[in-house]
Amino acid sequence: MATEARDRIAARDRVEQRRRSVEAPSTVRDDSEDEMVVSFPEFVFKEFIAAVAMTAFLILVSVWLQAPLLGQANPGMTPNPSKAPWYFLGLQELLSRFPPLMAGVAFPTFVIVLMILVPFLDRNPSRRPSERKVAIILFALYTAIVVALVIIGTFFRGHEFIWDWGWVLGNPQTCGGSPC
Amino acid sequence: MTVIRAALDEMFAVIGQMVGSVFRHGLPLTDKIAARTALTNFFLHIHPVRVRRSWIRMSYTLCLGGLSFFLFIVLTVTGLFLMFYYVPSTSHAYQDMRDLQFVVTFGGVIRNMHRWAAHAMVITVWLHMARVFLTGSYKKPREFNWGVGTLLLLITLLLSFTGYLLPWDQLSIWAVTVGTNMAKYAPIAGPYTRYLLIGGRVVGDNALLRFYVLHVVGLPLAAFLLMVVHFWRVRKDGFSGGL
Ligand code: HEM
Repeated sequence: MATEARDRIAARDRVEQRRRSVEAPSTVRDDSEDEMVVSFPEFVFKEFIAAVAMTAFLILVSVWLQAPLLGQANPGMTPNPSKAPWYFLGLQELLSRFPPLMAGVAFPTFVIVLMILVPFLDRNPSRRPSERKVAIILFALYTAIVVALVIIGTFFRGHEFIWDWGWVLGNPQTCGGSPC
Repeated sequence: MTVIRAALDEMFAVIGQMVGSVFRHGLPLTDKIAARTALTNFFLHIHPVRVRRSWIRMSYTLCLGGLSFFLFIVLTVTGLFLMFYYVPSTSHAYQDMRDLQFVVTFGGVIRNMHRWAAHAMVITVWLHMARVFLTGSYKKPREFNWGVGTLLLLITLLLSFTGYLLPWDQLSIWAVTVGTNMAKYAPIAGPYTRYLLIGGRVVGDNALLRFYVLHVVGLPLAAFLLMVVHFWRVRKDGFSGGL
């Protein structure tokens, strides 16, 4: 009984040994980009470093930079201009230029649907940047527009959301002494 | 002497067993030990055990997806802390924020971390999307995960936006007034949507409570669920890797 079990184990070990020697060439380290490496600990360590760096950065920023806290909310006093958070300033900018139905509803819906459809609209199978010039140019254009709108909304819109160089050149228009 | 020796041996054996039950496989000195560690550890099993070297080039992912996820965790932890002190009513909220800023030990720093991490997350998620686009990583078979990602981007924005109202200062209430006014313009449903969102015609107590509930329960749950699906798909579709 015991011998039988030992024989079976020995046989299995021999098979394993043979399989390994056959596969050996593919598991030799070649240091190439395609080489399979274990994700732990090398990769996990990289992630750890990134997390620590981000934590340190956040703590430093938070010690030095105070988050804004203005006066208590007062429904009776509308600041002028009233601005949305920066990531929605692009939308607010569009609202100041186009009819609300278009800028506030049609446009964002269109962008979201278009974004979800991107993988199906882009018929080009290549992933190489050099073979995807059109897609990359379109994306760069889209990014440039979004960034421009946010910058305009943040720095170039004053009283009544009217164009105002003052935030950049000094002397922003004020409402009764305090910034609008 | 021998009794003491035996007792010590026993004690070390028990300690060894305790340590061994947590760190099952020892130091990852060989690939085999490392692979077994990754395979049997709950927190590591989110990674594939083996990856192609080109997949984990930091110059490829720039760590942006991972950083977005990490910021989400930071926001959860700091947010939990803020919840101990914050009451979502128009009569308390502002004073609670001032207390956090000026009275509570480390309250100000934690509040700042929550705030800046939220801004940072909007940026990292956006850049992650840009990375995925520029490397064409949304192409077959990852179309679906790109869609999940789009929803994650939306939820990230909504999380930030609902949080914006909570300090109940002049910045919050008017930014949210402007923001929710945009919803008004939708044909037919618009005014109702806005009413539903803020529970009235002006941003007041109802709006604060709704935004609070969405901010601390509804949206984080949705985000978490979508992230689980997102990570699962990254594994199942295989990471796109080098170009
Ligand atoms: C809360 C937001 C998000 C989190 C936490 C997240 C997290 C991640 C992580 C950790 C990865 C693995 C690779 C990497 O780090 O780059 C990944 C891959 C991916 N993400 Fe996201 N993501 C988010 C939002 C998005 C968005 C907005 C999009 C696009 C619209 C997106 C599309 C994808 C795609 C297609 C992949 C697979 C990429 C590949 O295989 O190269 N994700 N995501």
